[in-house]
Amino acid sequence: MANLQHIRRRIKSVKNIQKITNAMDMIARSRFNAAREALLSNLPYVAKTKEIMRRVVGQMRGREYEHPFLKTRDELIAEQKEADGKFLFIVIASDKGLAGSFSSNVFKEAHDTIEYDGTGENNSMDDDGDDENFHKKNFDALNAVKPIATRTQKQQRQVSATGGIARATAHQGGGGNSGANLQVAREYNDAAYIDGIEIITVGRKATLHFQQRGYNVIKSYHGISERPQYRYAKEIADLVMERYASGEIIDVTLIYTQFKSAISCVPDDVTLLPLVTDDYAKSNANLKEEYIYEPDVVSILDKFLPRRIATRIYGAMLHSAASELSSRMNAMSNATDNAQELVGRLNLFYNKVRQAGITNEINEIVGGANALE
Amino acid sequence: MATILLEVATPDKGEVFAKEINMLICRSIAGELGILPKHARLLTELIPHAMRIKVDGGETQLFIGGGFMEVTPEKITILADSAETPDSIDVERAKSAYKRAEERVNSFNKGDTEIDIKRAEAALARAKARLLVKGVPIP
Repeated sequence: MANLQHIRRRIKSVKNIQKITNAMDMIARSRFNAAREALLSNLPYVAKTKEIMRRVVGQMRGREYEHPFLKTRDELIAEQKEADGKFLFIVIASDKGLAGSFSSNVFKEAHDTIEYDGTGENNSMDDDGDDENFHKKNFDALNAVKPIATRTQKQQRQVSATGGIARATAHQGGGGNSGANLQVAREYNDAAYIDGIEIITVGRKATLHFQQRGYNVIKSYHGISERPQYRYAKEIADLVMERYASGEIIDVTLIYTQFKSAISCVPDDVTLLPLVTDDYAKSNANLKEEYIYEPDVVSILDKFLPRRIATRIYGAMLHSAASELSSRMNAMSNATDNAQELVGRLNLFYNKVRQAGITNEINEIVGGANALE
Repeated sequence: MATILLEVATPDKGEVFAKEINMLICRSIAGELGILPKHARLLTELIPHAMRIKVDGGETQLFIGGGFMEVTPEKITILADSAETPDSIDVERAKSAYKRAEERVNSFNKGDTEIDIKRAEAALARAKARLLVKGVPIP
């Protein structure tokens, strides 16, 4: 028979956990309101930057002036035949856990994008009909001229059997020391492939995740995932632009969680560089009017394009913060509800056991009295 | 009178201004610009200043802390780093910011090399523009 005291203790501890999750829910809720506010007031700015970008770049293509960030894909590919640039990914996740599947969803999207081998069917379009999956097309085009991963047949089989490097390392005890994992990572995906990828992470969880899997994390930001600041976005943008301009990297993809509503947050990947997607080329057709640039085209673009990139990163950080907090809110209110249910079931069990004990005692007394007669 | 739509957006306060206006007088890095309806397409960078907006014969001012401006025949879009209407400006704060920035610029001129002169000058320009918008005499 279960011990009454044990059950009492169990009920007490479940109630304590419930108090904690309830408190965390409320904290997340108030922070979420702030984060949503910040996101909503940033949206018009981002939208307008995008609009202007589109008009200006669309009009600019096919004209005589040149800017390193405004090359067409054909031009880029022609250059990259000889170049030895890397692919850069910016992954924005959270610092802390207890937010349901928030971080793991981002990582899943990240691995789908990073380990994209040209076979995936993911051709998602943005809500506004933008083709922002330029990375995948870029990857295909680049792969045609310069295969990134030349795997042996055995390795290829292993990779497809384990679903890529993520699961390959997870099987080998993903949480262990990173040295061993690094080796595993290099065994499954050949070293050249790993070396061709750089990652910038925002959030402790993201840093740990990719370091453990042997990726080259060149920079990481911790402690800002819930309350992003523009200057960090600018720092990332500056670093990215510099490396892109020097040819060290040839493709930059941003992976973050898009906040749609308090109950729907979707991981998304967006190509930051090259800036000129097919979309811009299309809008080129209907804009013939010339812009006036003050003081001149190059100096304006030199300032405006980095701003566009930084704005985009900052926007993604805000999206991610709001998503993280709303995921935590959901996770914590679910946990509180579950704890409530568990307490109810335990109470019922407790009473049953107590009743059984009383019945037993009465039986014993009655049995004893009968024996005396 | 012909009008043109003016929209001012900032990264952290959303859309600060959105109205049909008659004329906009603003300052870009290349000099002062007056924008009337049906202006040619234009893209430029703005410096921190007090922007003058003419509507229905009257004039209002708007503080702009630097940013970009795109003009199309129907619409002016300003992407400002910060933007404030006269009633949202904190005069005391702007005054103390002005003094602080002025001191920093002065001590740089006296040979203090540790001061980031670009930042100090930008802060000075911003404080000055804020006070101008508010109509407060500069100390």
